[in-house]
Amino acid sequence: MNDPINVLTLFLFNIVLVNIPLLYGTVGEIVVEKSGSLDLGVEGTMAVGAIFGYLAGCASNSLLVGLAVSFLTAGLCGALFALLTVSLQANQNVTGLTITTFGLGVYFFVGKGLGGSWPAMTGSSALVQGFSAVEIPLLSRLPVLGKVFFSQNALVYLGVAVAVLAWYYLNFTKIGLRLRAVGENPAAADSVGVNILLYKYVHLIAGSGIMGLGGFYMALNMSGSFEGSNCWINGYGWIAIALVIFANWNPAAAVLGTLVFGFFNTLQIYSGALAGAFPGPLGWLNAVPPQLFKALPFMITAVVLVASSVRKREGSGQPAALGLNYFREER
Amino acid sequence: MKNRQPRFHVVKRESAGPGRQLLAYVAAVVLALAVGAVLLQVQGVNPVTFYRQMLTMGIPGSRYPWRAVENFIKLFVPLLIVSLALSLAFKMRFWNIGGEGQFIMGAFWAAFAAMRLGDALPQPLMVLVMALCGALGGGLYGVAAAVLKVRWGTNETLLTLMLNYIALYFLQFFAETKAEWNFFLDPESARPKFVKFPAGAQMITVPIGPFHLNLSLVAALALCGILFVYLNRTKRGFEIAVVGDSPNTARYAGMKVGRIVIRTIFLSAALIGMAGALHISSAGVMSASPTNSVGWTGIVVAWLAKLNTAGILVTSLLITVLQFGCQTASTTYSSIDANFASLLQGVILFIVLAADFFTRFRLVLRGRSRKEAVK
Repeated sequence: MNDPINVLTLFLFNIVLVNIPLLYGTVGEIVVEKSGSLDLGVEGTMAVGAIFGYLAGCASNSLLVGLAVSFLTAGLCGALFALLTVSLQANQNVTGLTITTFGLGVYFFVGKGLGGSWPAMTGSSALVQGFSAVEIPLLSRLPVLGKVFFSQNALVYLGVAVAVLAWYYLNFTKIGLRLRAVGENPAAADSVGVNILLYKYVHLIAGSGIMGLGGFYMALNMSGSFEGSNCWINGYGWIAIALVIFANWNPAAAVLGTLVFGFFNTLQIYSGALAGAFPGPLGWLNAVPPQLFKALPFMITAVVLVASSVRKREGSGQPAALGLNYFREER
Repeated sequence: MKNRQPRFHVVKRESAGPGRQLLAYVAAVVLALAVGAVLLQVQGVNPVTFYRQMLTMGIPGSRYPWRAVENFIKLFVPLLIVSLALSLAFKMRFWNIGGEGQFIMGAFWAAFAAMRLGDALPQPLMVLVMALCGALGGGLYGVAAAVLKVRWGTNETLLTLMLNYIALYFLQFFAETKAEWNFFLDPESARPKFVKFPAGAQMITVPIGPFHLNLSLVAALALCGILFVYLNRTKRGFEIAVVGDSPNTARYAGMKVGRIVIRTIFLSAALIGMAGALHISSAGVMSASPTNSVGWTGIVVAWLAKLNTAGILVTSLLITVLQFGCQTASTTYSSIDANFASLLQGVILFIVLAADFFTRFRLVLRGRSRKEAVK
């Protein structure tokens, strides 16, 4: 345990293990934001997906059912957001915040309500097994990196796959191109016959569903133990919104961004251990307050946000119509 | 050719009647309570007794009924001030969702003043200094986003969101770091723990019989009146309204839009900071998470009240009853979480958001619209 290489490996391993929900949340939010909707309900959506996915997974003793239910229930949050903001022209910020409030309310209501009959994750062999490490042949035998990247659980690989697929979908398919048009300039997209309503609904539901998978992941990572005071999601939904900006609305970059944010996220827990393992080069870590590591992702994002608005560069992935409702009669 | 015109289309209403609006709110509250009743029933809790306890907030029958009222006021004042302050920003379509951060910064600098000067100054002056420090701390923290927005068009929604967390961890650093220099913490305690403010930094209370009237309530109510006059009867208030309606009109009329935005956001954030100062002064001690989510709830309140000053007073009162009531009722029913209030709040807001559509727009059926066009 005190072997420096072991400490380093464990640190890197946890960066991936603990922070993959961020990737799900971020990719989901990118899909949503690319359709022009700024959904601030990520935290609540993930909470809803987490608790219902977990309960369904336990009840059916099946990982797939858990995944499907978390996707669907979180997707319902997206559908609600779409109904209110797309069809009924409600303000997106207020609707998003309400989804967060409501989602957390549901989470605590269900969790507290079940009380003693709350299912333990150990009672469901399929969930335990589904969340255990899958060693990828050969690659997992690499020193350090093998453990860090190639002996994670299946949902880690799924997360990366979803991110890559979303990246391909947004950038290299016709529907993805149209979706981006909807987010940039809905009036123009409408005038060439893109069904705005359909595009927004579908992507809000799908994106929210992906966030829900992240919630399900967090439930399993917390071993499904419900704590009355703290939600499993614990602010990850908000970090995901920051990460979208950091990744410049690019799902592939989100994979990298997750590792960067995850690095700081995990560093605040491991700084002591790392400083102990490498007293020479990393001893200074002990002097850095852990709160700084927690704040750094948000600081970096704020700087990125300001810098990109100052430079007004061409490459910014922020959809031009982000947060604005589209009202056809106002064209 | 198949006629593919939609069967109806959506038209903006010229004016929304206040009656329709009020009806929507009453319906929303009733429906939310009905949904809640079903959920309570599912949990095996009698909704009638739960709601009765919620609405009375456990005040009758309590051994210290006045204490409950005092606690209620401590919850109500921050929410009222923050909602009022946010409505200023929202009137200009400036999406300040950084209320949490500004509140924390206000509380922090007020606590700073309290710890440094608390013994030196008399109580009324000290409370005033704290309020000013809080206002300055919150105001400067919030105005940064406004300056960036005006100068470079930085997205204020996302930036103020980030600033919330930076403020939170900034405060946590002082809350959790035990050190010689850290005068916020109790030197006696082995674990990091905030030390109580000196007596001079505690909020002034006016004893009325057994009840101690918290002076911050008076300040908040006075603020309501002042803001009402400011928004409706002064040139600056008028400027806010014009900039909110159409920045281009404002520019054409010779208003300096950037300056108006920066000035108003500073005012908005400063009031939020002041709310933080009053809150911790009433609490008598700093806290690592002092906000009780007022930065978020304030947005909801301001929006529900349609940014109307009187409406905010009523709405924040109702929301506080909901939250405080659920909190007290949930101590009796172990299977119901205090967050039940969030659930009800969410349902109310969903319904209001949906109902808003029908007060702002109307559906015109295809046949009828053609007739209207002929006319």
